[in-house]
Amino acid sequence: MTATPDLLESSETAISPSQDLPWLVIVHNDPVNLMSYVAMVFRRIFGWTRERAERHMMEVHSKGRSVVWSGGREQAEHYVQQLHAALLLATIEKSA
Amino acid sequence: MIFDVALNGNPCFSELHPVLAGLIRALATDPWDRYPEGSKRLLPAPGTHEELCLDWEDHVQPGLRHQFDTDRAMVSADLELMTQAEGQDGDDGPFRLEIPKGHVDAWLTTLNALRLAIASDHDLGEGELSDQGFPDLSTERGSALMQINFYALLQECLIRFLQDGGEA
Repeated sequence: MTATPDLLESSETAISPSQDLPWLVIVHNDPVNLMSYVAMVFRRIFGWTRERAERHMMEVHSKGRSVVWSGGREQAEHYVQQLHAALLLATIEKSA
Repeated sequence: MIFDVALNGNPCFSELHPVLAGLIRALATDPWDRYPEGSKRLLPAPGTHEELCLDWEDHVQPGLRHQFDTDRAMVSADLELMTQAEGQDGDDGPFRLEIPKGHVDAWLTTLNALRLAIASDHDLGEGELSDQGFPDLSTERGSALMQINFYALLQECLIRFLQDGGEA
């Protein structure tokens, strides 16, 4: 089956210059936050398994930061707001 | 101190020495009043984009602050219900604090907020926070560390309660 040009465009998702790079949600280390608490917050906000939550928590702990999500700006801001509500240090950055 | 789950499913701290009960009562403290410098940590910037930061300050942070205040008010109300047993020989007896299971999230936030504000106010670093030794309580810094560590213990108990299937 051959895709028509307009179907190709819609399957690739229309891209505007401002949307061509995803926004990153980054969690930064804070020595006060408990590791168990950080992992719990990750599971609640992102719906991750225990293993994935602990992997990102350990990355924050050992490397100082972890990219926990990438995508559109609005969703990124929503996640950062939730992370701030849980008192985690989180920022939004444009993907390089 | 003993931590367990009451028959009604509520997490419960009992056999609390009056000193520990006093520390728990301090959770009603408004960190913005008591630790104005340290409280800046509670509402961090979302990044370096100026427009985003300004929007955050105007539209997001007031809501976060309101939520933190609401959680602290819930904790304060629960603290009013902390009971004290009669001690032996007329001494002050131990305290008991039962936390409604639906309030556990508010307690976790309030505990964390005060820990963060105290640590930030005293500029406590990773080394001091991870030091397993007993802090020097004769100093303000040591007392702050002790308070932070005690609140961490309470947090760990409540997180374990949630992980073991306690409802929040």
